[in-house]
Amino acid sequence: MKEKTQVGDIDRSLYDFRYEENEGDFLDRGLTPQIISEISDEKNDPDWMREFRLKALDIYNRTPMVEWGASTEGLDVDNIVTYIRPQSRMNTDWNNVPENIKETFERLGIPQAERESLAGVGAQYDSELVYHNVRSEVAESGVVYTNLESAMHDERYAEIIRSHFMKLVPPTDHKFAALHGAVWSGGSFVYVPKNVHLDIPLQSYFRLNAKGAGQFEHTLIILEENSYLHFIEGCSAPKYYEAGLHAGCVELFVGKGASLRYSTIENWSKNMYNLNTKRAIVQENGRIEWVSGSFGSHVSYLYPMSILNGRGASAEFTGITFAGEGQDLDTGAKIVHNAPETSSYMNTKSISKSGGKSTFRSSVAVNENAVGSKSSVSCESLMLDNISRSDTIPVIDVKTDKCDVGHEARIGRISDEAIFYLTSRGLSEQEARAMIVRGFADNVSKELPLEYAVEMNNLIGLEMQGSIG
Amino acid sequence: MSILLETKGLTAAAEDKELLHGVDIVIGEGETHVLMGQNGAGKSTFGCTVMGSPEYTVTGGKILFDGEDITSETADKRARRGMFLSFQNPVEIPGITLSEFLRNAIEQQTGKRIKLFEHKKNLAKAMEVLGMDSSYADRELNVGFSGGEKKKAEILQLLMLRPRLAILDETDSGLDVDAVKTVSKGIEEYRKSVGGTLLIITHNAKILEELRVDRTHILSNGRIVREGDGSLALDVLANGFEKYLGEV
Amino acid sequence: MEKTRLNILPVPTFSSLGVNYAEREMQQYETEAIRITESQEAPVRVDVTDSSAFEINASEGRALFVIQYIKSDSKLSVDTSIAASAGARVKLVQVFERLPEAVSKLKVTLADSASFELVQLVIGGGDNVIEDAVILDGARGAFTAELADSLAGSDRLDLNLIAEHRGRKTTSEIHLGTVLSGTASKIFKGTIDFKNGASGAKGSEQEEALLLGNCVRNRTVPVILCSEEDVEGSHGATVGRLDEKHIFYLRSRGICEEKIYELMARSKLMRAVSKIEDEPTKARIYKALGWGDDNE
Repeated sequence: MKEKTQVGDIDRSLYDFRYEENEGDFLDRGLTPQIISEISDEKNDPDWMREFRLKALDIYNRTPMVEWGASTEGLDVDNIVTYIRPQSRMNTDWNNVPENIKETFERLGIPQAERESLAGVGAQYDSELVYHNVRSEVAESGVVYTNLESAMHDERYAEIIRSHFMKLVPPTDHKFAALHGAVWSGGSFVYVPKNVHLDIPLQSYFRLNAKGAGQFEHTLIILEENSYLHFIEGCSAPKYYEAGLHAGCVELFVGKGASLRYSTIENWSKNMYNLNTKRAIVQENGRIEWVSGSFGSHVSYLYPMSILNGRGASAEFTGITFAGEGQDLDTGAKIVHNAPETSSYMNTKSISKSGGKSTFRSSVAVNENAVGSKSSVSCESLMLDNISRSDTIPVIDVKTDKCDVGHEARIGRISDEAIFYLTSRGLSEQEARAMIVRGFADNVSKELPLEYAVEMNNLIGLEMQGSIG
Repeated sequence: MSILLETKGLTAAAEDKELLHGVDIVIGEGETHVLMGQNGAGKSTFGCTVMGSPEYTVTGGKILFDGEDITSETADKRARRGMFLSFQNPVEIPGITLSEFLRNAIEQQTGKRIKLFEHKKNLAKAMEVLGMDSSYADRELNVGFSGGEKKKAEILQLLMLRPRLAILDETDSGLDVDAVKTVSKGIEEYRKSVGGTLLIITHNAKILEELRVDRTHILSNGRIVREGDGSLALDVLANGFEKYLGEV
Repeated sequence: MEKTRLNILPVPTFSSLGVNYAEREMQQYETEAIRITESQEAPVRVDVTDSSAFEINASEGRALFVIQYIKSDSKLSVDTSIAASAGARVKLVQVFERLPEAVSKLKVTLADSASFELVQLVIGGGDNVIEDAVILDGARGAFTAELADSLAGSDRLDLNLIAEHRGRKTTSEIHLGTVLSGTASKIFKGTIDFKNGASGAKGSEQEEALLLGNCVRNRTVPVILCSEEDVEGSHGATVGRLDEKHIFYLRSRGICEEKIYELMARSKLMRAVSKIEDEPTKARIYKALGWGDDNE
């Protein structure tokens, strides 16, 4: 029998540094109406939001955990610190950001990226945004990019937020949506007016630094008719012995003829529970494109959902999941065709190694009214060794005859022929394997802005490093 | 002599891109015409549009068959009028045998039920002309057929359906010498037994050797750039298109 | 009466889709299992009209061909278990003809180099819950399934097929053709499960569903579970109306749209029907499908 190459754990020193927190800034652990009210006090919530949070807590307490998916046994939600008081108010001047937080983001390369290639940046540190800024010409075009808290208190946006907040993902959706509704904090509000095309992306970076804490940011993006936006989201956290929880929520409203690209490179530490909910509703001829790379977390539940609600609306989902040692990553996408002539395309890759488990889970629903719609799903899984696991669980639910729905899936390993071919051209077996894995991930990396593609290739390189040499 | 097929200023588009820009062709009953042109000139587009393929939208002009405007008719109605297109890439239809398919097609076109025994006899005769193994009759339509077998099956359908007009879209391309001979034999048999009209889209000299070509049309970028008698086709085959393409 | 969970999806998914299990009231019936062995003449034809159980054993190197034709006006359950010893070859044809309410469970275990061929045809039926679980236990076991269903009116079908690869170099090949019309609803769960140790195993699954009418519902759950590196698994599904290219081809031969759908519906079922090498059974199926005698 052939000896298998052992693949080492990722070198995470880039992400693993951290600063000690002042525990006096933590709200008490746990979930009680008192704690929820304290969060409201801290954030000076309007009355409707106070009520919303308490109602969501009640729903959380009454909702059972889902019967499917990865195990959340190691997660003790009642002992998560749900809110951490910020060290400073949100800044628009980088120089005013506290030194240790500044250094954290400098090391992650955020300010540099802003200077070079972004139209605006938001940075969240634990519970609150510490920095938010947009280029002046972008602000002048009427684009709003700020944190949700400030927008909620700004009379220009208060009503928009009230009428959109958790309307797409109601707290009744599932247990962690309810939790999010109760304890959400931070995140972004983006508003792009009619006919405005943002040629360079906006980016939010989420950093969970505190031990035993949760991050519950809320991202609300509204694109008016014929506008365009590329939004990038990055996340990381250092590793602690205590499990962390990320239960964010993303709600995207894509107007008529508008187009939104939403890219995520998720690299939480490998003891994080990433139970995130993302959803987009797309109107007539609008388009949503998701690009999603999942590398971190101990357990993930992540299925961005696209609701195609207007004639001619379209969705594209491109994703890659890399599950290494100790990881159980349950990812995929959901698409609902709810109007005539809508189309969707899903292309995913997953890689399992060193005992990691990856599950591709999807649903494509084509409703009665979605006549003339098209959907195509392609998913591929790669097993790099014999101790890992890879499951593929798609569902296709079709309620009209006038549609074309196709589905293709493949699972396998790196073929001996491919290795032979590359080694015959002078590559070592290890190099050949790394090259094949990079090629396998190409569908995602080519969809990312260059800097992110490079970061993703580095992550893959790190994951495969043990096999080189 | 009466006109069987006529296109008047035919323009057609696929996915909003116009591929034919006003094509006029007149084919008289019983004649043999050749349509030539480089790759991408619009030859197949023309053949498919005349047959009513939903892939192409007629954006202007008319298609007349036997004097009647058929521009907006579906393909089955055109077929029942006596039109036939031999496909470049015939689709595979699993679960339906060649024999069963042909029996259905003939019954639909003639509106008469044919006895299985009689159908099998006719089919066997036509297959013999083409030197096809009788086992093909019971194979699923085009499933797992090689390129040559698919083309033979198209010619077999031509002989069985006996159309008034046959458009042969590169029926001879990608075939070895023997297979081209068989296809030629099939065409000859069609001329002999049906006396039908032919529009042949081809790159190949071999297939034209046995035929008396009445008229040649050269298509370039979706337009007819030159027309002539049979000698034009032979000249193009011998010397290439260049000198004709420069004229527009 | 208490409801029993049937047709459980080996790994559950989003519960709102209603595909994780079927719940039905189960009647208890007492009957001795009917045993079928290879000493009987091939094919063994069994008419199933009541709830019954079957035990089919094929001993080493022997071949067995069984046809179960299931037809009844009342509710019934059918349990069939098959054990194929090393090198044995078993072929089972199951025809379900318009059963008002039925639960069928098939459990098959294959030893080394044993093969099992399943041909299953569901013609209508008010509410059928059918499970086929095949365990490829020995090395080089081979399983092929040719399934077809034709549902109309308010017919309902929940079909749960599981191919569990345990042995080395085992193979499974599953094909399903479906035609739905009226308000018919079908769930097909097809799982290929590669257990650790099933090295060199290959499994493939293909579904083609033709939907005729705007009130049908077709749910497909093609699952692959894998804890072995050295395997090849694939699944594919196409659901919807006919491909435009096919329609144009058939139309260009003079066949009208209505007839095209009839032909294509037939073609979806023909793959399975053509694998039933028994004229009397075929004749019965043709009659049930209203296809008439082909030789007229």
